[in-house]
Amino acid sequence: MSALLEAKDIYVSYGAIKALQGFSLSLNESEIVSVIGANGAGKSTFMNAVMGMVTRDGGEVFLDGKKLPGKSYQIVQSGLSLVPEGRKVFTPLTVIENLEIGAFSRAAQGNISKDMKWVFSLFPRLEERKNQYAGTLSGGEQQMLAIARALMARPRVLLLDEPSLGLAPIVIRGIFAELKRINEEGVSILLVEQNAKQALLLSTRAYVLQTGRLLKEGNSKDLLADPEIKAAYLGTGEKKVK
Amino acid sequence: MDIGVHFSTLLQQIINGLSLGSVYALIAVGYSLVYSILSFSNFAHGGFLVVGGYICYGLLTMESIVVGGAVLNIPSFVNNIWIASLFALLGAGFVAVITERLAYKPIRERTSTTLYLLIASMGVSIVIENIFVIVVGGRFRALPQGTFPTTPFTFGNVTVNASDVLSLVFAVVFLGGLQFFLKKTRWGLAIRAAACDLRTAGLMGVNTSFLIGIVFFVAGLLAAVGGIFLSARYTLYPQLGGITTKAFVAAVIGGLGSLPGAVVGSLILGLAEMLTAGFISSQMRDLVVFSMLVIVLLVKPDGFFGKHISDKI
Repeated sequence: MSALLEAKDIYVSYGAIKALQGFSLSLNESEIVSVIGANGAGKSTFMNAVMGMVTRDGGEVFLDGKKLPGKSYQIVQSGLSLVPEGRKVFTPLTVIENLEIGAFSRAAQGNISKDMKWVFSLFPRLEERKNQYAGTLSGGEQQMLAIARALMARPRVLLLDEPSLGLAPIVIRGIFAELKRINEEGVSILLVEQNAKQALLLSTRAYVLQTGRLLKEGNSKDLLADPEIKAAYLGTGEKKVK
Repeated sequence: MDIGVHFSTLLQQIINGLSLGSVYALIAVGYSLVYSILSFSNFAHGGFLVVGGYICYGLLTMESIVVGGAVLNIPSFVNNIWIASLFALLGAGFVAVITERLAYKPIRERTSTTLYLLIASMGVSIVIENIFVIVVGGRFRALPQGTFPTTPFTFGNVTVNASDVLSLVFAVVFLGGLQFFLKKTRWGLAIRAAACDLRTAGLMGVNTSFLIGIVFFVAGLLAAVGGIFLSARYTLYPQLGGITTKAFVAAVIGGLGSLPGAVVGSLILGLAEMLTAGFISSQMRDLVVFSMLVIVLLVKPDGFFGKHISDKI
């Protein structure tokens, strides 16, 4: 079976700094895959490279075996949608307007109200606040809105960049539970996280990224039990060693 | 002088001020729209106004055109303010888009430093001004007599020029149209989102390059409306674009990047100018305008409706 999304040998550099040095990844239909790694490992750079937000020095990304187009808006049209790091909701626009702009890429505008019902069923809190400005929402609600907005594009692959950033643990658990439900409704998910434990608990497979290179990949369960990963990313390694 | 004379001067200057302010608003709104998307002061904006003014003047006065030695008579229906204005608006919009594609796009694709865009826009401004100096000459030109109605209206002691009322009405129509476009259309929504965050708008599937083209077209078009009314109010000359300084001041007073701010700032500025001219001295107009700028920058540097930068983090 060939992968739904496949990134091959991605190289990105910012001037002299090499952010990604030949990173490859694949995501199968209706799978959840996570990329974990420390700050500065190149996780966000990878997401931006996939979405056409930074220029790649090398490598290609394929969706369903077809090469992705170069411009961000074309990539969104072909079925990828990113929830950016730091949420980036449009604060001066209302919740509804944020969702409408999320659906911008779709040629058929007819089903927007149906999809809005769908995302409201996933995040009932957003429906309660649909006429509020996004800037007045709490951090957790803004993250819900950012996810809902990305879903309005009806993506085949939903990409999330650090959805747990700056949120309370209880809110994070809620968001991750919702991601599981979204995946069960048929959306494949690629997740990039510093919060390795949550990411590994949610995903089926994971890649560990270190300074732009692949350190390890495997089933999330195995990585959760891996002593090296535990020590470096889960903060629970020492107990085991003892 | 009795109080009645003062009162009628006041009313008259308020109407004049609103009329002048509405012309500033047309210019300031386009300038502010570009600023809100690309975060740089487009100093070539005045050039778009001059382009609009000259196209309008040219079509109104041209009787024949020489193409390859043959003289073609221009049908007289072209010498009509509606036709001329239509071409002026489209032409200025087109020039604005071309300016963006030639001068700004190559820069914004290479760097995110907006200072380079600002410097390029100063260059473009000089280029446009001098193209007109060379091609049509630096003379002052007036639109032909009878282009705009000149009959004054009189209400009691107050006399109002018909063309002043006309410019106020048209400014309201165009600004209302812009508001409708921004609030009710798909691309309008995209522009408002891009004003908040251009990169993220691109992630929503918006073709940001096309969006920037639309924004420049709208800005050029509105500047041309302002240019036509300015050339009716004063005269037309290649440096007329310099009046955009006033629109910049208005946009800063209202809050850079904010469209309601640009309109309010422009009306305040127009009123301040005309009231100074009416009650103190016409020579003090600019002194008052720039003093207002200094005071606003000291007291409220964001302007009245400015974006709070802290919200964006």
